[in-house]
Amino acid sequence: MKSEIKTENLDLEVPIANVDEINELLRRYGVKFGIYKNGVFKEQLFPFDPIPRIITAQEFAAIEKGLIQRVDALNMFIYDIYHDKKIIADNVVPEDFVYISSGYLPQCEGVTPPKNIYSHISGIDLVLGKDGEWYILEDNLRIPSGASYPLIARELTRVASPKAFTDNPIVDNRNYAQLLRDTMDNVNCGGINAILTPGRYNAAYFEHSYLAELSGAALVSNDELFVENNVLYHKTYSGGRTKIGALYRRISDEYLDPLTFEAKSLIGIPNLMEAYRAGNVAIINAPGNGVADDKGIYYFVPKMIKYYLGEEPILKNAPTYLPFYEEDRKYVLENIGKLVIKDVAEAGGYGVVFGSDLSAEKLEEFRQTIIREPRRFIAQEVIDFCDLPIFEGNEKVMRKADLRAFVLSGEKTRVWASGLTRFSRNPDSFVVNSSQGGGFKDTWVLSR
Amino acid sequence: MGTISVEHGDRLFWLGRYTERAYTTIKSLEKLYDRTIDSGHEEYRDYLAAFGLNDTYGGREDFFRSFIFDGENPSSVAASLVKAYDNGIVLREEISTEALSFLQMAMDRLEHISHSSKALCLSLLSLVDIIFGFWGCLGENVYDEEIKTIIECGKYVERLDLDLRLKCPFSMVEKEFGRLCTNLRKVPKNTPYRYNTNQLCTLVELMGMGENYTESKEEAISALGRLFEPVKRTVLAG
Amino acid sequence: MKKLNFSFSTKLTFDNYVHDHSIALRCIPPETETQHILSCYLEISPMVPTEQTTDAFGNLVTSGYLKNDHRFLDFEVSGCAEIDCGKLRRDFMPCYRYQSPLTKPGDQIRAFYESIKGECTATSPEERAAFFSEKLFGRMSYVRDSTTIRTTAEEAFSQHKGVCQDYTHIFLSLLRMDGIPCRYIAGLSSCDGETHSWAEYWTEDGWRGIDPTNNCPTTDYYLVLSQGRDYSDCAIDRGVMLGAYTRQMQLIASNLSGETY
Repeated sequence: MKSEIKTENLDLEVPIANVDEINELLRRYGVKFGIYKNGVFKEQLFPFDPIPRIITAQEFAAIEKGLIQRVDALNMFIYDIYHDKKIIADNVVPEDFVYISSGYLPQCEGVTPPKNIYSHISGIDLVLGKDGEWYILEDNLRIPSGASYPLIARELTRVASPKAFTDNPIVDNRNYAQLLRDTMDNVNCGGINAILTPGRYNAAYFEHSYLAELSGAALVSNDELFVENNVLYHKTYSGGRTKIGALYRRISDEYLDPLTFEAKSLIGIPNLMEAYRAGNVAIINAPGNGVADDKGIYYFVPKMIKYYLGEEPILKNAPTYLPFYEEDRKYVLENIGKLVIKDVAEAGGYGVVFGSDLSAEKLEEFRQTIIREPRRFIAQEVIDFCDLPIFEGNEKVMRKADLRAFVLSGEKTRVWASGLTRFSRNPDSFVVNSSQGGGFKDTWVLSR
Repeated sequence: MGTISVEHGDRLFWLGRYTERAYTTIKSLEKLYDRTIDSGHEEYRDYLAAFGLNDTYGGREDFFRSFIFDGENPSSVAASLVKAYDNGIVLREEISTEALSFLQMAMDRLEHISHSSKALCLSLLSLVDIIFGFWGCLGENVYDEEIKTIIECGKYVERLDLDLRLKCPFSMVEKEFGRLCTNLRKVPKNTPYRYNTNQLCTLVELMGMGENYTESKEEAISALGRLFEPVKRTVLAG
Repeated sequence: MKKLNFSFSTKLTFDNYVHDHSIALRCIPPETETQHILSCYLEISPMVPTEQTTDAFGNLVTSGYLKNDHRFLDFEVSGCAEIDCGKLRRDFMPCYRYQSPLTKPGDQIRAFYESIKGECTATSPEERAAFFSEKLFGRMSYVRDSTTIRTTAEEAFSQHKGVCQDYTHIFLSLLRMDGIPCRYIAGLSSCDGETHSWAEYWTEDGWRGIDPTNNCPTTDYYLVLSQGRDYSDCAIDRGVMLGAYTRQMQLIASNLSGETY
């Protein structure tokens, strides 16, 4: 997708006033990010930068279309993998990539979630390349977090800096809670909606409790829940119980049910999988959906789109090579010095190596490993993506930034007209992860 | 809402208690501060004695700073606010982000005052304003009567407890007891914060002693502490 | 064909009261091509309301929840089944081709596999399975209580001893390295009054049973209770409970008796 209008060229007045007050408000509301005090930026875990990322209406329309297409195909893929496996039979995706993926859970074979939706809330990471093209970096389908930050930042920015909003045609993003609620209601099997949190010491606890408050769901922890007769209940303090029809869980698959998955899990709910299999509760996102956000599977997403939807992919992947295929292997071995190599068996940020960081000797060693175990790796071109301005103290500097877009699959698939823009605070870094000391921005989608 | 878990029930009660502990502590210390202006400086020891504490403080100023700002002192305003926030943080969807923000602001304000050079009671005014704001915000944002009642029960149990310990005049204790009873009546039967009849009877009896209540204040404090103990049912044989 | 009377019981006792006890039992033998269940009874004490579902591996799962205090949980499954191992099951899953958490080989098993794989020139799964079973049988000793339910194939192999569960895990590990899909079976056979475990490997015609602990093919004297990638998918009883107990004791008894037609 080529954006016709480049955001940098837009003649937009973005006077974000009262920056200190916005940060004071973020602190007041318990979103403990960095604070500007006397113009000096104090470093903290997830600092807020007041200059928004701006996406034009036209640009967003194309991204939106591309994301809906992508998430729809991903949902169809997951359904296919746990049922008919046609895409494997038709040799579009080699089976090894599916079954060695840590996100594939054989325990979910043949289990059909309500309305066939596996990924209800998808966090798709994109970057805007210097060529003006948006590239998909990663699909996060398990428990993507981050929507609450631009949501509360917008609320507070509007209070502190109303003029920015009267002067610019910015789509209101505060419908996220309603989108979330619709998504839960759509699959609710009878009963209340609940958000399952591992507890207040979880890094994303603010998000869990804030989304619960806004969406009207009960915030619950596992010791308040039990499954009886294959129905999930919330224990009330008067000895009663309330049926839960949709559980937006913020704990990962392997800890979900100690009687099906990791037996030592202390944060799971025994027999939750039985209630789910019996169709009495929807689990959001559905267990086993991690098979589609695996590093190895990423390569095949454009092929999935063609396979399931018969459409050309609107949004591009970062150019990726699979040494599993002979032609790709040849390219990877020749160009390893300029590629990023990712070990598909490793989770998170582990097993990611930049060829440019390796010595000649190490490179040769790596080549041999790839020749020996071609299925274990994928290789990607390093994308030179756009910088965005951020405040470093009083000074405006340019830093790398990505965008996590939130796609909600309910009755229809919808893209939230906003997103979490994360930036790197290190001028030489391409890594925008918050654990690397990065910060976040609000994302403005323009209505024209 | 209709789905309060055991943990959240507990948290609501203690949110009420700790927020009130912070408030009543401020109020008591303000009065004490006023008295110590002209009545000699040792009177703060009576306050310590009411809580069974020894004077390990380097004088009046040190005492007041400790009981207001020192988070390490479990009886301080600072410690009470932290505990109130600790309970509030898990109750966001019950009490609202807005109400919760007042607890954050109260902690921030206390921190700010601790560096202030203004007169102590003068700077505490703004903190009291924030606590009033918290209660107002709760009243405004919480629709569920059950939730409100549990918090208020915590609040007035704490108020009465401190008043008894500090041997407040009976006319005041009586009023606070009346407020507590108004809230106790609202708690539905068969829920954890339904009063224990035996303990409530004890309290009513002791209140009947009027000004002499201080003679039995330990008994009253104990009954208050056990006010929500489950009633042991006696099974009649035959 | 053989008609078997089976019974299996466990008595779980705690040294203090437990509550909020959730259970998932995989103890009801499934009706398959090779076994026809003529009758089957499950009794649980204290009384627990239960539900039944079929899991992804085709196991019948009986789940229940005991809220109130109790100090023991007993269950007994008994009945009568007709076994015909001349017929073959065909319920395949692709995951049986891949190593699972408990069968994942380490250096020891891998070295063992590399050192022996060439000795067998046969290519049929039947012959290769028999070969690996033979080799494994020669290397391991059956020692009761030498491992736990969490012991991996690599751990058991490294100490050269184990029980039927370990024999089966190591065998599955070898076969999967060799590219032959295979699965874990938990069931009843002659195994000291406890449950037994053995393996099935995939052939063109379907699943065939082999008992690595005894280094022999399975017969009509093997009743299947559950199947999966390894023990963790097949556990006959899993439970989670709350309470101030410090110890639990489990007594198991099983009985299998049959008559040939």
